[in-house]
Amino acid sequence: MCIIAAADASGRPSAGRGVGFHILEDREAIEIIFSAWQWPRLEADIRQTGKLAATFVSPSDYVSFQLKGRATLRDTEALDIGRADRFITAATNELESLGVPRRLIAPWLTVREAKVVQLAVSETYVQTPGSLAGMLAGTRLS
Amino acid sequence: MRLRLSDLSACFEGVIPSIIATASADGMPNISYLSHVVRVDDDHVALSNQFFAKTAANVRANPHVTLILVDGFTGDQFLLDIGFVRSVDTGPLFEKIARQLKASSAQVGMADIMRLRSADIFRVHGIEKVPCPVETAPAAAARDPVSLPALSEAIKAIERQAEAEDIIDSLLGGVQRVLGYDHALVLIYDRHRGCLITTGSIGYPQSGLGSEVAGSDGLIGASVTSGQTIKVNDMSRVRRFGEAIGREAEATEDMTRRVAFPQLATALSQIAVPMTAHGTVSGVLFIESQERLAFREDDEAVLEILAGQAASALRANELEAAAAEPRRAPEQSVPAAAGREIHIVHHRFDDSIFVDGTYIVKGVAGTLLRLMLEWHLSEGRSEFTNREMRLAAGARMPEIKDNLETRLLLLRRRLAEKKAPVQIVRIGRGRVRLEAVGPIVLDAAGE
Repeated sequence: MCIIAAADASGRPSAGRGVGFHILEDREAIEIIFSAWQWPRLEADIRQTGKLAATFVSPSDYVSFQLKGRATLRDTEALDIGRADRFITAATNELESLGVPRRLIAPWLTVREAKVVQLAVSETYVQTPGSLAGMLAGTRLS
Repeated sequence: MRLRLSDLSACFEGVIPSIIATASADGMPNISYLSHVVRVDDDHVALSNQFFAKTAANVRANPHVTLILVDGFTGDQFLLDIGFVRSVDTGPLFEKIARQLKASSAQVGMADIMRLRSADIFRVHGIEKVPCPVETAPAAAARDPVSLPALSEAIKAIERQAEAEDIIDSLLGGVQRVLGYDHALVLIYDRHRGCLITTGSIGYPQSGLGSEVAGSDGLIGASVTSGQTIKVNDMSRVRRFGEAIGREAEATEDMTRRVAFPQLATALSQIAVPMTAHGTVSGVLFIESQERLAFREDDEAVLEILAGQAASALRANELEAAAAEPRRAPEQSVPAAAGREIHIVHHRFDDSIFVDGTYIVKGVAGTLLRLMLEWHLSEGRSEFTNREMRLAAGARMPEIKDNLETRLLLLRRRLAEKKAPVQIVRIGRGRVRLEAVGPIVLDAAGE
């Protein structure tokens, strides 16, 4: 699963769910697809301040990472919608295998009026609950 | 229509994780999942402060916070704009949050990781429903409200009963009639041994009468320890609380001296309601359902009312029985039974009783049967009063004075369930008769 947040100029945060992603070839940036229809404040805030946080979670074991950095928006292309459809199918199947009924998941994930936000990653954090939570990934444990 | 927190009750069950977004003083956002959000009143929520350091720091630097809550029934999502007010780490509000967190984090299997140190209180500035791309299932409110006349009738039914057996049966019947739940247990607390013993049961293929749960185990133990109702509303992702309790088949009872705890393998919701009278917890009413999110706020209220009524009635029953019973049953000669010999073994170390090799019961209930058998063998009588048992066993087991009636009930029910050749029959207020199909040979082992 993927959840994303931005903030407006007054510091009020907005949040939403990602429905697909793609790591760029330079491995310094990632593109995340979200529904601007479902999460309009997210789109407005990214345009306004250009900062984004994205957390990726494996629902079966709670292993989580958070990426942060500058963000820009672009419209979707056919390739993006295909990625989003595959992501939604895979996420729905995994959650269902963990016992979450399919009809509960359907309201969360849509490609309606999808946008792509490109995140130039400047910070990566381990967010799995436990002793390493909040640490910058790659930090040496002393 | 303006949404209120009370419209979002199915979001606070901890079934689907919430999401919290914050921003640092320089406007960099942060986002993470949150195990549980507690509704404090119609304007405030509390968040367990076991979330990540960055979230906590952001909240203090910039009080604007956005939450995504998910209705555990329909999947509908809600965006909440909230503002940090203060932190609490003691007091009733903190205790309430800690309890709810404990129950709900057990729900997602993270009870050990999530230990509450403090809770943050937020004021809710706005709630909006997130646009939904599909038609969602009807909301939780679709269910019929609880019938107050039915509840009143159930309370009266408990109140009318004078015997422990009828009180417990009326409680279980009330749960079934008022709320429609078909799988329920009454467990009586044995403070001395630190465990709860199943004494009443409906809806299970094996009644589980006589099965025991440690006072620190799972939902039932947590309920008796905290004196609070504790529930799990979505067991699809949970290690099942019942599993820790033991699943020995009935066949192993005679070796383990443990009765298997009844299991509803397909249960998705469980609730444990303490039976409290005069501030003392005397047992737990435990209910299971195959529905997700079965137990809502009004169910909890009804169950607490019924459990409290039954606890008061059981207490009154013990007090009355102790005061009113004749001291000793009149002597009467009993013709020697002519059938085959019945071999009964009593083990003093755990007061367990075996009849012809079949495990019946242990603890106080076992002591009571041994007493009756000794009197039967030495004095030739078969009728006994609860009061004389209370006096005779009280010296060795002081705790008996508060729970003789329920232990005697457990003993009678176990003998009946095992179709033992010796039975205890209630013959009047505070009086029982020992009935045996043949002469009894008592082996008091381990002395």
